[in-house]
Formats: sequence, C-alpha cells, structure tokens
Amino acid sequence: MRTIDEPSLAPPEEREDVIGPTGAGRRRSLLSRETLIVRGAQLMVGLLLLGLWQLAASARWPEPVLARSPGQTASYLFDAAGSGELWSNTRATLKAVLAAWVLAGAAGTVAGVALGLAPRVERVLTPYLDAANAMPRIALAPLFIVALGINTSAKVALASTLVFFIALSGARAGVRSTDAEWLRLSTVLGAGKRQLFVKVLIPVATPAIFAALRLGLIYSLLGVVGSELISARDGLGQLIAYYSSTFRMEAVYGILLLLGLVAVTLNQLMGLAERRLLRWQPPADR
Amino acid sequence: MTMTPHTLPAPADAGRAPGEAREIDEAIAFNGVGMTYSTNGGRPRQVLDGVDLRLARGEFTALVGRSGSGKTTLLNMVAGLVDPTSGSVTVMGRRPRDARPHLGFMLARDALLPWRSALRNVEYGLELRGVPKAERRSVALHWLDAVHLRHAERLWPWQLSQGMRQRVALARTWALDPDILVMDEPFAALDMNTRQSVQQRFVDLWQSEEHRTVLFVTHDLGEAIALADRVVVIGGGRVVEDLKVDIERPRDLPLITLNRRYEEIYQHLRGRIG
Ligand SMILES: Nc1ncnc2c1ncn2[C@@H]1O[C@H](COP(=O)(O)OP(=O)(O)OP(=O)(O)O)[C@@H](O)[C@H]1O
Ligand SMILES: [Mg+2]
Repeated sequence: MRTIDEPSLAPPEEREDVIGPTGAGRRRSLLSRETLIVRGAQLMVGLLLLGLWQLAASARWPEPVLARSPGQTASYLFDAAGSGELWSNTRATLKAVLAAWVLAGAAGTVAGVALGLAPRVERVLTPYLDAANAMPRIALAPLFIVALGINTSAKVALASTLVFFIALSGARAGVRSTDAEWLRLSTVLGAGKRQLFVKVLIPVATPAIFAALRLGLIYSLLGVVGSELISARDGLGQLIAYYSSTFRMEAVYGILLLLGLVAVTLNQLMGLAERRLLRWQPPADR
Repeated sequence: MTMTPHTLPAPADAGRAPGEAREIDEAIAFNGVGMTYSTNGGRPRQVLDGVDLRLARGEFTALVGRSGSGKTTLLNMVAGLVDPTSGSVTVMGRRPRDARPHLGFMLARDALLPWRSALRNVEYGLELRGVPKAERRSVALHWLDAVHLRHAERLWPWQLSQGMRQRVALARTWALDPDILVMDEPFAALDMNTRQSVQQRFVDLWQSEEHRTVLFVTHDLGEAIALADRVVVIGGGRVVEDLKVDIERPRDLPLITLNRRYEEIYQHLRGRIG
C-alpha cells in the first residue's frame, strides 16, 4: 500500500500544467455565467432607479416644476423619435464627437509619444501643458464660437482641447513604461532605432494609449455637448438648452438619458476593440 | 600581469605552454580593460582595473566573482552596450558593436515580449535581422521543439511557467545561430528542480553540435564547474583565478557533483573567491 505520493518520473516538461484549450474553455464558460449574473444585476439596478424616479415624480419632489415621470419622458422620446428631431441632432452631436476624438486623439497621441521619448523637451514644456490643461474649457467656448462661427468647427475645437491632453498624457506614460531590459536585449539582437520604436515602444505604450482614447471619447462627448449648450444650431446640447429655457423638463430628462445611452454604447465599443487588440494581456490586467 | 589559464596540478597535469593560446582563434579578447563609472555627485567608482582575458572559439568559460565585482559590466562590454574607460574589447576580432550578429544574449530575466506568443518571441531576433517569414517560422519551431515546448507555441508569456519562459528565451537565443553565447546568470531565477532540467537541456544542446563559444556569468560555483571548460574568477577589478575544468564531456549534470575532481576544483575556487 502506498502511503506517500511517489515522485513523478516523467520529465518536467510533461508534468507542467499548461493553460491549454481546456483551461481557456473552462474560463470562458465561467465568464459567461459571470456575465449573466452581472447583466441580471444591472437590470435590477436599472429598474430600481426607474422606480425611485417614478416615486419622486409622484411626490412632486424636489420641486413641482422639475417633477416629470418616466412615462412623460418616454412619451417625449417617442414623439421626438417620430418627428426626426432626435436623430438629426444625435447625428450632429456624434459627428462632432468623432471628429474631435479622431483629430485630437491622433495629435495628442503623437505629441505624447514624442514627449515620452524626449524628456528634455518635456521638462521645458510641462508647466505650459499643465497650465493649458487646467483651464476651464467651458470658458473657451465663446472664444471658439466667435473665432469659428456657430457651427461644427466650434464644437470640435472645444472638445479637442479636452481630448488632446488626455491622449497626450496616456501616450507619454505608455512610452515611459518600457522595460530597459527589453531595449537592451533588442539592441543586442540587432534592432535599430526604428525597430525599437515599432517593435517595442509602440506595443508597450498601446494599453495606456487605448485607455486614454477610451476616456477621451467620453470627454469628447462632454466637450461637444458643453459647446452646444453655450451656443449651437444643432445637437443634443442645443436641444437641452432649448427645452430647459421653456421648462419642458421631460424632454431635458429624455435627452440626458439618450446621452447616457450614447456614452455607454461608445464605451462598450471601445472595450470590444480594446479586448481584441490587447488579447495578449492576462485577464486581470485588461 | 596577464594570467594564463591553468589546471590544478595532478592527477594528470596537461598544462599548456604559455605561447600556445595565441594560435587558437580568439572569439573574445579583453585587453587591459578598466572601467570607472561616474556616479551622480559622488566620487567616480573604479570597478575594473586591467582585466586581460582571451576566450578561444568553442570554449565555454564561466565568470564568477562576488556581487558587484563587475561581471555584468564585462558582459555588457562584449555586447557593445558599454565601452571600457581604458583598454579595449574585441569580439571575433572586431569592435563589439560590429560583432553583434555573432552574438546570442541571455539574461536572468527572460525579457520575453508579453505581446508576442512563445513562437513569435523565438522569432523575434530573426525578425529583427530581416529573415523572411516562412524561414524564421520554421527555424523558431525547430528550436521550440529542441527545448520541448512545441506544444506551447501559441501561448502568451503570462501563460508560461518560469522554467518554460526561460526555455523560450533559450530557443530565442539559439534560433539566431550565434557563434558566441553571452549569458548573465541565465538560470538564476529558477527554482532548483527547474534549474537542473533547463541546465541539462542547455548542456545537451551545446554538446550536441560543434561547440559555440560561451561566456557565462553565474553566482553558483557548482553550476560554473559543471557546465564550463574554464572558470575565471573576477575580484578586485581583475582576474584573480583562471582554471581549466578537466572533467571529460559529455557531462551528466546531477552526477558530476560526485566526481572527485569536481570537489577539488570547487574547494580551490571557493578559496579564491573568498
Ligand atoms: N550604469 C552604472 N552606473 C554606475 N555604476 C554602475 C553601473 N553599472 C554597474 N555599476 C557598478 O559597478 C559595479 C559592478 O557592477 P556589475 O553589475 O558589473 O556587478 P556584477 O559582478 O554583475 O554583480 P552581481 O553579481 O551582483 O550581478 C557595482 O558596484 C555597480 O554599482
Ligand atoms: Mg550582474
């Protein structure tokens, strides 16, 4: 009878636990159960919030003039969707959001990578960048509107001032996170400057750049809507300004909800792209 | 003073004549190498002071010495990552930087790129050197197989154990078909069992083909004697001992420690490191 485990005689490589297809499969099924639970809980939270809103509306809380029920809001959304008012304005807002995100995201990323690689230049510019980034952007809105006119360019300009700095700091931090050992090894293996950049620095920086761009997309939305609130011909922010001034609160709530929906959708899309691009990361780091 | 490699006297002293070394092709030569690091604010620190060392082609040399004695500094010179402040280093008769295509480089940390699968990590050096895709893939697969990791080719580095990672690094080094292997404590990060199996894989690879020149830094004196033809001790900025390991090959790693010669050399070197 055996009382203790015999030492295995198999060579070590055959004993090693490999996270192979079976491991991954098990993880995926666990994940999908996990996903189900999360989705269920999300639904509950949504219903709870809706219930609280309904309660507040029936109690005419906090102020009769503000109190509107979910039903009233839904009926506004239904009418506005039918009349096309919602679609044209959503499109106008999204167009500006994407333009600012692409332009300022690209410019900020390039600037951040450059600063990450040129520490001396960065030291010179840091106080100016900090000062620029600390400016309340909403204060710049009238300026852009006067300079560019009441149009899409003014919205894009304002949102860009937000997105640019977010992308910049993400890319800069990303490039900085390079491991010196990777650079040493690559150099000895024969990498030139260009190869170090393309094969080490850029992949290293990708997670941070992506996280920044994801955040930047939401800030782009905030910037555009902010600009529209100040002055615009179209866009969801402009609708909010109009309905607020006429105390059509059910419309204001409806549009805010729609904005939330847009933000969640954009975030989910970014998350999807991120997971594809960063599938080399251990799940905990994603 | 230049120290020539010698053998412990007896049993059969096959000491070589001093002039003989010159006739062998040199893979690496340190000529009066000195290194003084400037420190931020403080006094400059002299780390090396007149290191003379010649490594013949095909020779396996282990470099030992206390922590901070300058072993890594010497390796970095061979790789062309730092220049000596006095004296010179040549690799295959050239400046180290120009000899990099001959070099394989391996460190205690495997330095695998986390965004590349095991296979693509093995391919990395070949890719940097412009080897066409089909060719580098087949070379990489061959060496992954040689370290018994064919089944792991698609895994990401985080999915590999330490020992597997270091074997991927070994395959990456070998895939370049280097004339010279420069290794800085390559197995130090592994636990004892894993270390033994990776060491054995390494010795087997090395013994199975025409010998490549190896310069191998280690803290483990036993490892140095078991693997190398020659053990060089660095101390006080120079070579304080240079000893041939006259134990026949092929060697079987766990058993070599039972060899009497191993024990003699071990005790002698221990005394020299102090
Ligand atoms: N870049 C550097 N700048 C300043 N000093 C350095 C630098 N690199 C190494 N040194 C110093 O040189 C000495 C030798 O360092 P080195 O890394 O070559 O030692 P080592 O023999 O490899 O030590 P270990 O066995 O601990 O790895 C140390 O005292 C270290 O502080
Ligand atoms: Mg060292």
